[in-house]
Amino acid sequence: MSNIDRRTLVKGSLAAMMAGAAFSRAASAQTSEPILLGVSGPLTGPNAQYGTQWKQGFDLALDEIMAAGGINGRKLAYQFEDSQSDPRQSVAIAQKFVSDPRIVMELGDFSSPASMAASSIYQRGGLVQFGFTNSHPDFTKGGDFMWSTSVSQADEQPLLAAYAVKRLGLKKLAVLHLNTDWGRTSRDYFVKAAKEYGAEIAVTEGYIAEERDFRSTLVRVRDANPDGLILISYYSDGALIARQARQVGLKQVMCAASSVYSPKFIELGGEAVEDVHLGTRYFPQDPRPEVKKFIDGFKAKYGGQEPDAFNAYSYDAMNMAAAVVKIGGTDRRAIRDAFAKVKDVSSVIFGQATFDVESRRVKGAMNAELVVRKGQFALWDGKPT
Amino acid sequence: MSSWLDYTINGLIVGNVYALVAVGLALIFGVSRLINFAQGSIYLVGAYIGWVAVVQLHTPLPLTIIVVAVAAAIVGLIIERFGLRPLQNSVRIAPLLATIGISFVLDQLVMLTFSPNPRALPSQLPDVRFQVGGGTIGPLDLLIAGVGLTSALLLFVFLRYSKLGWAVRAASQDRDAAMQMGVDVNRVNQAVFGIAAALGGVSGMLVGMYYNQIDTAMSLQATLKGVVAEVVGGAGNVPGAVIGSLLLGLVESYGVAVFGTSYRNLFAFLLLVVVLVLRPNGLFASARQAPPEPLTGTFIAPSRPVRIPRWALAVAAAGFAVLPLFPVSFYVLQTLINAWLLGMLALSLTLVAGTIGQVSLGHAALLAIGAYTSALLSLTFNVPVGLAIIGGGLMCAALGTLLISPSFRLRGHYVSIATLAIGEIVSLVILNWESVTRGPIGISGIPPLSLFGTDLISPTSIYWFSFAVMMVLALLQGRLLTSHLGRSFRAIRDDDVAARAYGLSLNRYKSLAFIFGGFAAGISGGIAAHLYSYINHETFNTQQSILALTVVILGGLGNVVGAILGAVALVGLPEVFRIAAEYRILIYGIVLLLLVRFRPQGLLGTM
Repeated sequence: MSNIDRRTLVKGSLAAMMAGAAFSRAASAQTSEPILLGVSGPLTGPNAQYGTQWKQGFDLALDEIMAAGGINGRKLAYQFEDSQSDPRQSVAIAQKFVSDPRIVMELGDFSSPASMAASSIYQRGGLVQFGFTNSHPDFTKGGDFMWSTSVSQADEQPLLAAYAVKRLGLKKLAVLHLNTDWGRTSRDYFVKAAKEYGAEIAVTEGYIAEERDFRSTLVRVRDANPDGLILISYYSDGALIARQARQVGLKQVMCAASSVYSPKFIELGGEAVEDVHLGTRYFPQDPRPEVKKFIDGFKAKYGGQEPDAFNAYSYDAMNMAAAVVKIGGTDRRAIRDAFAKVKDVSSVIFGQATFDVESRRVKGAMNAELVVRKGQFALWDGKPT
Repeated sequence: MSSWLDYTINGLIVGNVYALVAVGLALIFGVSRLINFAQGSIYLVGAYIGWVAVVQLHTPLPLTIIVVAVAAAIVGLIIERFGLRPLQNSVRIAPLLATIGISFVLDQLVMLTFSPNPRALPSQLPDVRFQVGGGTIGPLDLLIAGVGLTSALLLFVFLRYSKLGWAVRAASQDRDAAMQMGVDVNRVNQAVFGIAAALGGVSGMLVGMYYNQIDTAMSLQATLKGVVAEVVGGAGNVPGAVIGSLLLGLVESYGVAVFGTSYRNLFAFLLLVVVLVLRPNGLFASARQAPPEPLTGTFIAPSRPVRIPRWALAVAAAGFAVLPLFPVSFYVLQTLINAWLLGMLALSLTLVAGTIGQVSLGHAALLAIGAYTSALLSLTFNVPVGLAIIGGGLMCAALGTLLISPSFRLRGHYVSIATLAIGEIVSLVILNWESVTRGPIGISGIPPLSLFGTDLISPTSIYWFSFAVMMVLALLQGRLLTSHLGRSFRAIRDDDVAARAYGLSLNRYKSLAFIFGGFAAGISGGIAAHLYSYINHETFNTQQSILALTVVILGGLGNVVGAILGAVALVGLPEVFRIAAEYRILIYGIVLLLLVRFRPQGLLGTM
């Protein structure tokens, strides 16, 4: 193992020396070697599905970047290391990336424990950790090498609350949330915003990610007598809750966070998710050109499959990485500085993404109010359900 | 009032779902005295075969059930023939590890074939709903209940009245005597594994239809709940497994009713611990029944440990000590740091599991206790990090021993199940006790490791620090094993009746072992917390407990050097196999199986 590493190190430094010595040949040597991004994420283990969705988004974005001539003529590529979302493995991957001179920046990891355990290594090693799904409020506090395009829940949840309370007119809410750092943070922001808008929170219930049976939880919800259910869920658990809610006889309006936005939500939920409302960052008939390009490109590449929220996050992240590398080149520090310089990068989630240099996050996610109608996501027409 | 009816119905419905897995587990346990960790994987395989049949081949339901049952039975027969039969004359712990390895391989194969994305598995039954109480039930609920009850009943009749059933029961009571009476024990095992696997496969498919959702993460959860239900009912008792499952479902449902959803599994595991403490053989074991495990220590068979000369160990230790002076990459150092941290945990587990015979499946809980204590001491009370880690070790020694103590009166597999439950309880308490642990948000900004005021942040210094700590613990434990105390520990493991007859107080010695082991595990958790700087309830999960046990069995139970070697191997192998990308865990599982097959006593043998 150490041999391989030493060999690649030697190879890397030899290449650099040769490039320095014979600069006429350096240019051609450089163009043949791709600019390499490191990705740390789950390809096996309980979160494996999200890692495979990332890959789809990355690959689509890379195709488009290459078709547009790459990064100033050079190829962009990524090396995906499977962490199983396990902090023990993500820290080892972090050291691997930091000590590999070919890697210019890192993307991921998926879960907060795995991502934030590795942050200190990236920070000290001077390699950008671009956590594009890391909504934990403390993630970017890990240091000035931590940047994130994850939609801050402080931004997203008030939008959902406005949809539920102001637009749908719900007055008494039951909130079901994943009991993870994401779900918990989201719930707190949602509850705060919903109360500000004048709604009452009848009950909140947190459930663990492995949970599949919600019938008893839903009886508890029913007894609190709400006029609407709020699902702060991912698509698979969201679909389970919707199905079982109908089974235990709940007929209230349901309103879900954007993370359920996936064709799988409809596939898994079937008729039960009909009329579920959700706030999203983009939608199929979205007139924005970047969204059209994304959806059409995705369907063409993956045999007609509709993209979901995680595909969009990773697609945006790869485009952002390309924009940053275009400005920062291949120097790791210059790349960090480039994050503060990129302006108005075309984005499915944000429309135009520009980092807030203070928080190292992007503000102002797009918002669309959707509803499931006839097994399709559709823009809500304002009619009550 | 009507709500209570609804909670009861919901509890029974989900209890039915658990029963499907529990019956298969009970059948296998009844004959082989083996907790089949691969049962959940067969359940997974069944669900995906069902998906292929329903969605791709459009088979009608009765045919689907037959296809799934036959295919799953074949998988079960293959597991029995190639995974477990070669191990039947080796140590009792080896098949347990083999089923863990098999479940890795099966889960990975399914994931690679079908991708990890969840899929819909549409129900093929008519969509009619019957109003019961405030809610409704559908035909699938009835079918699941029917399959659970019928299979339990059929098995009961089969075991009681058929000739093969007699052979199964004879083999489960005394394998050698049954063989002398001319029972073909291999055939019995085959029959049992085939039936259990068929049932497991069908249950995976039915549960998949029930939720209209199958995914590759469903296997571990199914095994966990199935094991709880089975043990509550009395391990090896088929009708007991059904009643245990329904009881588990009811307790969970009422737990949700009274305290809320996030307490749900807490009640499931508390129920298990209470049942085990009050009725160690499960609720429905008769008093006359023979003890579930042999009285003497065949669970951990002694073997001749590999003697490594002292000078070789010294050279190896010196080699690792000076390693950072050579040009090795930080990645290698970081991997070895992980190995040393896992090594400390393995030292702890090899002492309690190997030396004194309490095979714990909840050891990650000790890491969590050490990590949270150390993190909170340094963050809230500004205790210097070095002292905070020691505080974590002490807290873990005290609290860990206290928590584990209910399992002291148990033997064999029951200790593993009880510790598994205690581990889950600790994790759920961390999730719910927000005022102290900050719940799911976790603790961030934990200060880095430091010693006498100097921060240890370079991988080299962290490497030396963790290596030194592990060496000190290893040397202490080596000294302990050769002392009078160590001999007493082994005496209890090998024959607790004889040990008691010689005047050894079992509880006191078990406590001493857990105090020492808890300290080592707590230190490991404490260091990890400062290394990661962020922890939450998911950082130290069940998979880590299983990993720790794998390390210990692989290295050789009770073997100090073996524990460290095992840790290096099991941290190193997945890293070496990175080149194989998605296939690496599959390869890891296969390597694990081969190791168990050819070194069932562990690499260095039991001490």
